[in-house]
Amino acid sequence: MARYVAGRLAQIVVILFMIVTILFVLFRLAPGDPVSRMVDPSLSPEEAANLIAQLGLDKPIGQQYLQYLQNFVKGNFGHSFHYGLPVGQVIMAKLPNTILLFTTAMVLSALAGIAWGKVAAWKKGLGTDTALTVAALVTHTLFLPWLALLVIWIFGYKLDWLPINGMISAEVWLDPMSGPVDKALDVAYHMVLPLATLFIMHFGSYLLVMRSSMLQTLREDYIITARAKGLTEREIRNHHAAPNAWLPVITSVGLSLAFSINGGALTETVFSWPGIGRELVMAVSQNDYPLAQASFLLIAMVVLFANLVVDLLYAFFDPRIRY
Amino acid sequence: MSAEPQTASQATPRRRSPWRERFREDWLVFNHNPLGRAGLILLSVFGVMALLSFLPPLIDPMYHPMTGVDPQVLYSEGPSARHWLGTDFMGRDILSQLLAGTRVAFMVGVSAAFMSIVLGVSIGMVAGYAGGIIDTLLMRLAEIIMVLPTLLVVLMLSALFGKLNIWTIVLLIALFRWPGVSRVIRAQTLSLKSRPFIDAARVAGASHTRIVFRHIMPNVLPLAFLYMTFRVTAAIVIEAALAFLGFGDPSTVSWGMMLQWVWKTGHMFQAPYWLFPPGLCISLITLSFYLLGRAMDEVLDPRLREENGTV
Amino acid sequence: MALLEVENLSIGYRTKRGVLQAVDNVSFSVEAGRSLGLVGESGCGKTTIGMALMGLLPRNGRVTAGAMRLMGRDMLGLSREQWRGLRWKEIAMIFQAAMNALNPVQRVGQQIAEAILTHNPGLSRGEAHSQVEGLYQLVGLSLERLRDYPHQYSGGMKQRAVIAMALACNPKIIVADEPTTALDVIVQDQILQETKALQKEFNIGIIFISHDISIVAEVCHHIAIMYAGQMVETGTTDEVFREAKHPYTRALLGSFPALGGERRPLRPIPGEPPLLIGQLAGCRFCDRCPEHGHACKLDPPQWRRFSDTHFALCDHCD
Repeated sequence: MARYVAGRLAQIVVILFMIVTILFVLFRLAPGDPVSRMVDPSLSPEEAANLIAQLGLDKPIGQQYLQYLQNFVKGNFGHSFHYGLPVGQVIMAKLPNTILLFTTAMVLSALAGIAWGKVAAWKKGLGTDTALTVAALVTHTLFLPWLALLVIWIFGYKLDWLPINGMISAEVWLDPMSGPVDKALDVAYHMVLPLATLFIMHFGSYLLVMRSSMLQTLREDYIITARAKGLTEREIRNHHAAPNAWLPVITSVGLSLAFSINGGALTETVFSWPGIGRELVMAVSQNDYPLAQASFLLIAMVVLFANLVVDLLYAFFDPRIRY
Repeated sequence: MSAEPQTASQATPRRRSPWRERFREDWLVFNHNPLGRAGLILLSVFGVMALLSFLPPLIDPMYHPMTGVDPQVLYSEGPSARHWLGTDFMGRDILSQLLAGTRVAFMVGVSAAFMSIVLGVSIGMVAGYAGGIIDTLLMRLAEIIMVLPTLLVVLMLSALFGKLNIWTIVLLIALFRWPGVSRVIRAQTLSLKSRPFIDAARVAGASHTRIVFRHIMPNVLPLAFLYMTFRVTAAIVIEAALAFLGFGDPSTVSWGMMLQWVWKTGHMFQAPYWLFPPGLCISLITLSFYLLGRAMDEVLDPRLREENGTV
Repeated sequence: MALLEVENLSIGYRTKRGVLQAVDNVSFSVEAGRSLGLVGESGCGKTTIGMALMGLLPRNGRVTAGAMRLMGRDMLGLSREQWRGLRWKEIAMIFQAAMNALNPVQRVGQQIAEAILTHNPGLSRGEAHSQVEGLYQLVGLSLERLRDYPHQYSGGMKQRAVIAMALACNPKIIVADEPTTALDVIVQDQILQETKALQKEFNIGIIFISHDISIVAEVCHHIAIMYAGQMVETGTTDEVFREAKHPYTRALLGSFPALGGERRPLRPIPGEPPLLIGQLAGCRFCDRCPEHGHACKLDPPQWRRFSDTHFALCDHCD
């Protein structure tokens, strides 16, 4: 187990190293002056010279690369043009917000997909199944930004029930009377709509995977054994079929992670949720290269780690797999 | 060695049966699936829309999706006899933009999917057939690309290289969407490689190129075609999302771009007639390709027939 | 009174091409402590009978005629709930372990305890667990293996676990469906001997389903040969094995003494059984039968009696 995790971590390091290298090359290949991409044009000449020295931009390309790697390991990504702050500081502040929204959305939609896929397979061919399957097909092919806008239009505007952007409201957080519970509730309140958007987008694919996996499982011999033992249909479904059927759902969560993170970035952007996905989109629009680069790397890291977590979860639930 | 092609192709399961008969059979299975049929019908509607997109600019220049501006309209207006779906913030006709967007969606979807399939199939076949270090390297590469969120990668590149034109976007999508296909094709190639008819061909003296193209490719192509429909949806969605975020090709009108306009110009609350159509179109075209893919999956994989037969 | 009586049982499957008559007019009975072997090729209906005895026919399958009685009690009219109470408690099944009969993500001991707890709701988990320990000792499995998962067992161990599971609720009848197929010969022999011993010890009636007549002969008191949904010969093991009458039985035994010419060991039976859809006139085996006459094709064969226990469904055997 420990050896497996160590191996995977090493693999993640190698992949990150490759991505970093490719970024380094691209930054030098792109038209225009690489220095101007890393140094804020609004800095004073001394400040700029200082930063150039720190990032090694005045040295030959080979040394630049080494310096670049060193800075990367130290977490020194330069200064954000937009914020005027060290990039690491900016993105680290946003990372928890992304993880909060994204993880909650993934877990909820996977659980719902498993539960509903189970029901659909059990009621195969009946109205419940058809309704669930069609709902899954339609929702998971929706265009996410449009869905987000619709959700805003309906619940934020027409019905005016829920906040449509940001993560906190100033009046709650500035009020000295509000305790941690109030603050948490305020965040939860802001999270409803972005969470709902991601949930609607994602439960469908898990439902479809669960349904077809469940249908396959129901044809297995051990289901006949369970029935022969005199178990009730409910026990067969929940204790024997489902625990086998939802293993492929875990795999599919892992495989769709990269796709889901795209959706996460779009959702954050539309709902102004202060996460790294939105930070990347804004940095790109504002030509804030240091910030864009660092956010991209961080997102890549998040996906890689999430993949590892998914694999470990799979091993946890499937006794046949032991690392 | 003249006997080789015959013996080998006789043993090849897919090439043996007459194409027309096979197609008829497959069509029956496909047609049996109501969702697949729905997908096909929807797709034909979009096809008609794409064809019609050439009409509006011919009727009147003010119907040009990009440059045509109705002189009498100064801001976004709702549907009217003159503009069936209303106009955008500069008085451009939403319907003609929508039609033009259909054309772009097809273009982007089909060409990106085609390229990524060509890449995925060749890489998958080479990896599976060659094995060894080549296989390991190619599959590691595939794994790395697979964990990268394509949209964000293209976004990053457009930050560095400036706004990308539509063909560059298509190319980039293709470059980042081949790994899934190549893994499937590789697995298929591996299983084909161990079948007797490949051995027969090899013993008969066929070259590697010949084995790959004559004997393996025909057997993986149906699968590749299936994956192509799923790749079309991915490509359309990525392009639309890119345009939505403001990084689309500024010289084309795509549905994603229409959504960006309605969002960024602050019209989304006042102008539902503008907000609804483009998003609905993206979602429906994705749905129709997806349904088509699922139905084809059923045609290709008989095991799925019983279980999905009802939906 | 026999423990289990099956009379003129017919079972059909609804298929797209019509009703497939998988079992046609089959009768047999099993006494406590005795065993009956059902032998035949795959598709002859033997597994269908096993499933019908458990009330586990697939959805498109139905008993179309006949009766099944357990200790004089009719089984066909049972409700779903009654069936659930009967399964495993009265009739248990030994599955072919190689066929994934154990749930891969549940501990083996737990799977056996589950059967006990289902039928003895008053029992605590601890009590069920100690019963499972007893069963493990009975079938010769090490207690350390209780918390293992099926994939950690060898084929033979899985088979023992499946047997332990079948014994869990002290059933009166056990249906064993190809219980030793896919095991190597030595393990197969051990398991057969142990099964025999257990049967004697607990006075259980066993219905032993197999395609391999030699295995059945080793364990069973009676043998019934099935072909294309019908029973074609039945008798004590000795009678069927030593004085096989029906040409199909003889073919199964691998020799054709009635035919002139040299003996050929392991001779495969040419041809295939008929498709069991629609009306089948005449003897079902006649197309493959080396001894058939003209009448065989036209008229259904009649049962011939050779002793009080030995019968064959053939007009041509002596």
